Amino acid sequence: MSERLADGVGVARAEHFETVAQQREAATLGIWAWLITELLLFSALFLVALITRIQHPEATVAAAKHLKFWIGATNTVVLICSSLTMSMAIEFSRMGWQRAMVRAMLATAALGGLFLVLKGYEYYADWDEHMMPFLSNRPFALAETPAARLFVNLYYVATLLHALHLFTGIALLLGMTWMAAKAGFLSRHQNWIEVYGLYWHFIDLVWILAFPILYVVNR
Amino acid sequence: MSASGSIGGTARREPHAPEATIGRKADYLHAESTLRSWFLTTDHKRIALLYLASITGFFVIGALAAGVVRLALIVPNGAIMANDTYNKAFTIHGVVMVWFFLIPSIPATFGNFLIPLMIGAKDLAFPKLNLTSWYVFMAGALFTLVSVVLGGVDTGWTFYAPLSTAFSNTWVLPALIGVTIVGFSPILTGLNFVVTIHTMRAPGMTWFKLPIFVWAHYATSLIFLLATPVITTALILLIMERAFHIGVFDPAYGGDPVLFQHLFWFYSHPAVYIMVLPGMGVISEIVPAFAQKKLFGYRFVAYASIGLASVTFFVWGHHMFVNGQSDLASLVFSALSFAVAVPSAVKVYNWTATIHKGALRLDTPMLYAMGYIGLFVLGGLTGLYLATLAINQHIHATYFVVAHFHYIMVGGTVLAFLGGLHFWWPKFTGRMYSEPWGRVSALLIFLGFNVTFFPQFILGYLGMPRRYATYPAEFQLLNVLSSAGATILAAGYLFPMLYLVYSLWFGRKAPANPWNAKGLEWETSSPPPTHNFLSPPEVPRIPYDYPIQAQESRDQHG
Ligand code: HEM
Ligand SMILES: [Cu+2]
Repeated sequence: MSERLADGVGVARAEHFETVAQQREAATLGIWAWLITELLLFSALFLVALITRIQHPEATVAAAKHLKFWIGATNTVVLICSSLTMSMAIEFSRMGWQRAMVRAMLATAALGGLFLVLKGYEYYADWDEHMMPFLSNRPFALAETPAARLFVNLYYVATLLHALHLFTGIALLLGMTWMAAKAGFLSRHQNWIEVYGLYWHFIDLVWILAFPILYVVNR
Repeated sequence: MSASGSIGGTARREPHAPEATIGRKADYLHAESTLRSWFLTTDHKRIALLYLASITGFFVIGALAAGVVRLALIVPNGAIMANDTYNKAFTIHGVVMVWFFLIPSIPATFGNFLIPLMIGAKDLAFPKLNLTSWYVFMAGALFTLVSVVLGGVDTGWTFYAPLSTAFSNTWVLPALIGVTIVGFSPILTGLNFVVTIHTMRAPGMTWFKLPIFVWAHYATSLIFLLATPVITTALILLIMERAFHIGVFDPAYGGDPVLFQHLFWFYSHPAVYIMVLPGMGVISEIVPAFAQKKLFGYRFVAYASIGLASVTFFVWGHHMFVNGQSDLASLVFSALSFAVAVPSAVKVYNWTATIHKGALRLDTPMLYAMGYIGLFVLGGLTGLYLATLAINQHIHATYFVVAHFHYIMVGGTVLAFLGGLHFWWPKFTGRMYSEPWGRVSALLIFLGFNVTFFPQFILGYLGMPRRYATYPAEFQLLNVLSSAGATILAAGYLFPMLYLVYSLWFGRKAPANPWNAKGLEWETSSPPPTHNFLSPPEVPRIPYDYPIQAQESRDQHG
């Protein structure tokens, strides 16, 4: 791999690596390994949700019908757009267009924020429809079917965990944008943008898995 | 099949490695001495010592709790302590020993210290992440410990739902949160190891020249990465259920308690190999060094590590034979469990074959290694009893199980840990420990261990259930024997703590390679300089290049 992509773009070698190529390779492998563990964290939840669907089709479909399909669908589109802007940020970073890169990163963070706002509104609607089985003061709308309750609970755990990842992701992204706006950043840490980009795409991917499993299947 | 095919004509190294050549100030221990330089270090060797100190502390706490448990069981009627106290004591013991001692023990200490040295790298790939993982570990562990000590928890280390989510009114929630946090530490460590082993090997250090210790840690790291997230999910669900009544496991909320057991054991069975594989790696270094003989069947031992790490994911159901799982599932899990015996046996055969006709030296590390092999064989064989459906019905949840997992986990991990600690002590500290004291304590531990835990096989077979503070009077004799053994064992653990610490100041200065061992870690001074090697190490022609080369033409010389 070439050590320099465009003028003033590159990676400063840390002391314990022999070459920059080795350092890049380590960073990429590291983030992939981390993403696999993250995927497993979610996949246990998804698997349980799927098993619940198979074992109790009517109850889960009844519960799934209460989920706000259109909010979920819009959010899917929002996240796909954010992945696009993140990819653009990476392209710009490779070309050394720092200003464009910073803008693309800010756009990504904004789309992520939009997702959270929509998600928050959806939770509010759930609350309004008595779809929060864990609240003792608001009786659950589908109280007669325990499996519906289980499914809805899994929905909350999975989406909250996803939202938590997104929230952390936005915070990290903003922090990095702040650093990346400074002169000389791209000549030292270009690969941070690449590595971070993979993490962002991953958050997107998890939602793309969650959406059909929770909202769409059997609908 | 030839490992040497890809290797250039590097000359054989001198049989005697160089003596320590660097001054005191240059080595990693003395390079800097402020507290800050320890607590903010990114040197993998210093981080290893931070882990060593903390893990030793946790071991002491866990052992004290074990002492309390054994004390209570001297009398059959529970006269010594209330049931409640007993439950809390064995929970502290289990939680601390499993989550805070056994799982991190060898990887976080020896793995951290040795993997970069063994592959000829300057450090792990992500030094800051490495330090972070220690802080994550300490934060989670101390949080749990405080809650377990202040309020107590009575669920046992397994946190089975719905006891843990609905019925226990002890401090389960903080304990769960702490254990969840601790879980991220091995994920980060495993990630660091995998990346380091893939990308940071010295030129010429091909995969099939890696020491088995590195192979074992590679396999362990895969388990860290692939299994730990699942227990994290399970723990998060437990926390949600206990805190917010989000029902996933409790039938009262539409949940399924067997689901918790699936998620739990999907992690916790592989976790057994998190504990055992690194120990096997240690033994595979000690045995050739003290037989001065090449490790027999190097490639098979390497493959067996990966084999164990793979099969171990498919046997979790053997913990659930009597929990209403379908007969077919039980049969499959039983058969797969038997399959685990194959790679385990491969390892034992290869160690034994290495010892056979070697120039045997019975120094402390080797005594521990031999003890390890003995206990591991007994623990492994009794695992086959447990994996047999019909026998399992009889001995499930009895002291037979307690004896079995102590033979595997304590026999396997703790003996390997102590063996490795003595073996690499000169490298870690630059000092030699007292050999006579070392031998005495190795023998004491082996004796004490067997007196403690062998009677428990019999107790379990006779039907004494585990996790009860009281038992029928006819079991008293064996229980008293077991408690007496625990006293011997405790003495055995105490000695190394004393003479090893003593050696830090008064021990003989260690040469670079006191054991005439092979492996890159012995090529650098004791203790090593901050970046491990003053000049790039020379990678050997074959792994385990010991003087005695055995009749092993098929395997290496191809
Ligand atoms: C000093 C020697 C030790 C003694 C006397 C001892 C004693 C015991 C006893 C009596 C139990 C059973 C409690 C019960 O089920 O009622 C137990 C459980 C257990 N011990 Fe030990 N132990 C010792 C050392 C260790 C060590 C060194 C480890 C780990 C490194 C360990 C790991 C465990 C685990 C994981 C359990 C299971 C707890 C549970 O399932 O709730 N033990 N121990
Ligand atoms: Cu198991």
